[in-house]
Amino acid sequence: MKFRSLIFKNIFRNKSRSALTVFGIAIGVAAVIGLGLLTEGLPSSAQNALTAGAADFSVIAKTTNIEGAPSGPGGMGEQQLISQDYVKEIQKISGVNSAVGVLRTMTNLDNSSASNSSTTNSSSQSPTGDFRSMTSLIGIDKNSLSMDDIVITNGTVFSGENEVIIGKRAAERSGKTIGNNITISNQTFQIVGIFETGNFQDDSGIVMSLDKLQNLTGDSGKISLILVKAENGTDTSKLANTIQNKYPNELTTSTSLSGMERMNEGLNVINTAVWGISLLAILIGGIIAVITMMKAVSERTREIGVLRAIGWSKKRIIKMIIGESILLSLIAIVIGIIIGISVVEILSSTHMLPGLQPSFSVLLFLKGIVVALLLGIIGGIYPAYRASKLEPTEALRYE
Amino acid sequence: MNDLNIIEIKNLVKSYDNDKIIALNGINLEIKEGDFVSINGPSGSGKSTLLNMIGALDRADEGQITVAGVNLMKNQDFSEFRLNKIGFVFQLHNLIPNLTVHENVQTPMIELGIPDDEMEKRAIDLLRSVNLDNRLEQLPTKLSGGERQRVAIARALVNHPRIILSDEPTGALDSRMGDIILNLLREIHRKENVTLILVTHEEYVAQSADRIINMMDGKIIN
Ligand SMILES: Nc1ncnc2c1ncn2[C@@H]1O[C@H](COP(=O)(O)OP(=O)(O)OP(=O)(O)O)[C@@H](O)[C@H]1O
Ligand SMILES: [Mg+2]
Repeated sequence: MKFRSLIFKNIFRNKSRSALTVFGIAIGVAAVIGLGLLTEGLPSSAQNALTAGAADFSVIAKTTNIEGAPSGPGGMGEQQLISQDYVKEIQKISGVNSAVGVLRTMTNLDNSSASNSSTTNSSSQSPTGDFRSMTSLIGIDKNSLSMDDIVITNGTVFSGENEVIIGKRAAERSGKTIGNNITISNQTFQIVGIFETGNFQDDSGIVMSLDKLQNLTGDSGKISLILVKAENGTDTSKLANTIQNKYPNELTTSTSLSGMERMNEGLNVINTAVWGISLLAILIGGIIAVITMMKAVSERTREIGVLRAIGWSKKRIIKMIIGESILLSLIAIVIGIIIGISVVEILSSTHMLPGLQPSFSVLLFLKGIVVALLLGIIGGIYPAYRASKLEPTEALRYE
Repeated sequence: MNDLNIIEIKNLVKSYDNDKIIALNGINLEIKEGDFVSINGPSGSGKSTLLNMIGALDRADEGQITVAGVNLMKNQDFSEFRLNKIGFVFQLHNLIPNLTVHENVQTPMIELGIPDDEMEKRAIDLLRSVNLDNRLEQLPTKLSGGERQRVAIARALVNHPRIILSDEPTGALDSRMGDIILNLLREIHRKENVTLILVTHEEYVAQSADRIINMMDGKIIN
């Protein structure tokens, strides 16, 4: 009989206790695998949006109370628009790699469709606005989408007169997809693509060409902001200052985090939380493993004494107990992975976490395996040490 | 003192519970290699304690004890000594319950590092010599007390020990079974020229020994 076979036999001694050890370790593995699948699923969509072309900062109008604001058309909020001519001027400033004008506005798609059918009905709706139905409209040059973190995940970019692309969340919420039509301010557009930005609000929006949006809102020649990307090696904050100094009364810059960066900040919070939960699960799993392995040792006090009496070394006893806990942790790896994946599959199938795409990576499974083995070894070390300290005479007296 | 002595003990003292219980109170004993020695005495007189000292299962407080050339007063683990020199046969309940008869006999071989393919063969040979080769795959719980003791004897012989220590091997058996076990041990002692030390309460068992040691209150009284 090989030593290995003895270890193998021993874990089937007390099946419910072994099952408990496996369960404890599997909790740790399932937590690492399950939570890992969830969190690694989140940035994979953000990573898609991570493009080389993203802007470094944006240039917007300097709002002043003294001068009468050249406001946009009614209902477009308090944003102050700027002349599109600034784009060309800023483009010329040294250190600027590219500058692109963007018009952003909000519209109430439900109202616009409602006003089509009946005008009387619209008055009964609350004027304070149904925020959920406010949709971002973004007008931008089709070749500069990456400057605004916009990545097309399906379909193509708009090219024809009445073509738009819609955000992933907008598509999910409206149930519309490529090929469908959408009505904005009484005009019908065709959806030709789906995009993702990593920014929650923008992903609920609609993007079309700048000209078209200016047309739609009556803001021709006007834009909300200019996205600026600095040349490689240029200090972006210095460049931003240069622009502000050049137009002290007209323009200011905003280095507000890009959608990607904002998303990453959120992810950091989530990652920290996931870390904490995983650690807790590992701790609980480890405690269960130690307790059950301790039980395994105390149940077998007498026979460990017998083995010591017939000449087994302390080392051999330690190897046996740790061998058993490692073997149990190998079983726990399989069970933990199955539990982890199942829970995530159930979660994503119930749409409790919209937009979630579990991402399977070898690294994650390696993490799970390492956690299990560590728990197995740590769970076994103390009980094994205690077992090796058993005096044969003490153990043999045990009747 | 004498090369023929496999066991030499001088003024050996062992107490328990902070010297409240003196289990061995100055033991002096020499045992020749190949002898069959019976240790007798009333309950609590220190028989098991002495046997445990000889088998290095426990450590004495004072005195000297040398067994098979090994100084057992040294502060170290004597598992290797037990593995190579000693065969134990305890009273009962000393088999591993989840291992079959032949696997139980193999347990010392794991530590001895005997090659896998040889292990089973040797276990079966030994079990044949104690007339149990028809119960190889049985679990200990399915065996009678006498059969269990025979498995324990087979296991004790695995390492060709120089000394077999047996603490009341017949204690839990009826007299017929007790006789069988006793005869088996005597036969092994004769054939293998192994030193046999037997603790027993029973007068008739002691009679067949080369030498009888009587104990009382932690001392040898004869
Ligand atoms: N681990 C221990 N802790 C405390 N006292 C002990 C311990 N082991 C033995 N003793 C005591 O030492 C004395 C001798 O015990 P021992 O077991 O050697 O007697 P024995 O002659 O074998 O008796 P029996 O015939 O009943 O087996 C007894 O008083 C016993 O209670
Ligand atoms: Mg005794």
